[in-house]
Amino acid sequence: MRDDEILIGTLMEDSWLTLEQVAAACRVEPAWLMRHLDAGLFPHAESVAGIWRFSGAALARARRMRQIERDFDAVPELAALVADLLEEMDALRARLRRGGFG
Amino acid sequence: MQYKDYYQTLGVRRDATAEEIRTAFRKLARKYHPDVSKEPDAEQRMKEINEAHAVLADPEKRAAYDQLGQGYRPGQEFRPPPGWDAGFEFSGRGFSPHEAAEFSDFFAELFGRMGGGMGGAFRARQDYHARGEDHHAKVLLDIEDSLHGATRQINLRVPRLDAGGRVTVDTRTLNVRIPQGVRPGQVIRLAGQGTPGTGGAPAGDLLLEVEFRPHARLAVDGADLRMTLPVAPWEAALGAVVAVDLPDGALKLRIPEGTQDGRQLRVRGKGLPGNPPGDLLLDIRIVLPPADTPRARELYATMARELAFDPRRPRRS
Repeated sequence: MRDDEILIGTLMEDSWLTLEQVAAACRVEPAWLMRHLDAGLFPHAESVAGIWRFSGAALARARRMRQIERDFDAVPELAALVADLLEEMDALRARLRRGGFG
Repeated sequence: MQYKDYYQTLGVRRDATAEEIRTAFRKLARKYHPDVSKEPDAEQRMKEINEAHAVLADPEKRAAYDQLGQGYRPGQEFRPPPGWDAGFEFSGRGFSPHEAAEFSDFFAELFGRMGGGMGGAFRARQDYHARGEDHHAKVLLDIEDSLHGATRQINLRVPRLDAGGRVTVDTRTLNVRIPQGVRPGQVIRLAGQGTPGTGGAPAGDLLLEVEFRPHARLAVDGADLRMTLPVAPWEAALGAVVAVDLPDGALKLRIPEGTQDGRQLRVRGKGLPGNPPGDLLLDIRIVLPPADTPRARELYATMARELAFDPRRPRRS
């Protein structure tokens, strides 16, 4: 493999994800994301001077909520509750792995 | 390309009602949901179930699929006749070219020409200047890749609109340099590697979300590495210098005198590289030697006799 065939990426800081980037990466409409933000269902985002910015965890969150809403015709509040529980489960599993029980 | 029996995937009869299809899909979606399923092939099954549902839940696609699939068996070599979809009016509800890219070649071959939705989503953008969409993919790394940097080959399925207005799915292979010090959950941006722009506008970016494979001994906590360090009782009691095997080579570590089980030692700067680098966190676990020889039993008995030690009595730390 030649060196010029290798793509070199830049590491995005968490705060670099914009609403449009999260929406495009998770294949949701920006309006869908805005509705969920307005309803307070998206904890991995903060508004700075009126501009939303997202942590890396927002990608998994948006995909999960979209999937739960679509697969089970779930209302957004229920999808958010399930996503909260799955995130809690992820955190507990990570603690188990760190403790050597994973 | 092999024929896929979507009815078999969802476990419904060919004359199933829309309600029966929805019920079957939900049952399977619950069973194979990748976050909770214990099935080893849950992710793959979920993709197949989603694909089957995307077709059978849409009356237009289902009608086209039914007409085309007559006489085929699952796995049989399949090639739709040219112009097979001429008689269908597709309104194209429901899913995007990117979602189609998640599905099989069989799906893309069948529904790639659908007018209003999949193709339309692309065509609509050709009339004006628009930046291409960002793509998203996951990349699975080992801790060693972050410690040393690495190059990874990544295969992406990318939807493309051909000259005839048909959506096809290409496979693109990219060689990507993984930067040193990358952490789980971080996103690597490859500028210009997303969907091409239209009307001279720039291409979108490719966003790679980093995940780590589980390591036998090390866990990652942000930029810190964490592991359990087994020590002998005398090493913990008297202090010692022990060798700790790390992916970068062995590290000599001083165990302080009087170290208790469960205590954590921090070695600054020995975690994942960065500015500042992470730390190495060592959870001390005191391992007792077995009392399986007369001599070992005698040593334990000597300690029991000569040390006034009751582990259940509170001690000053």
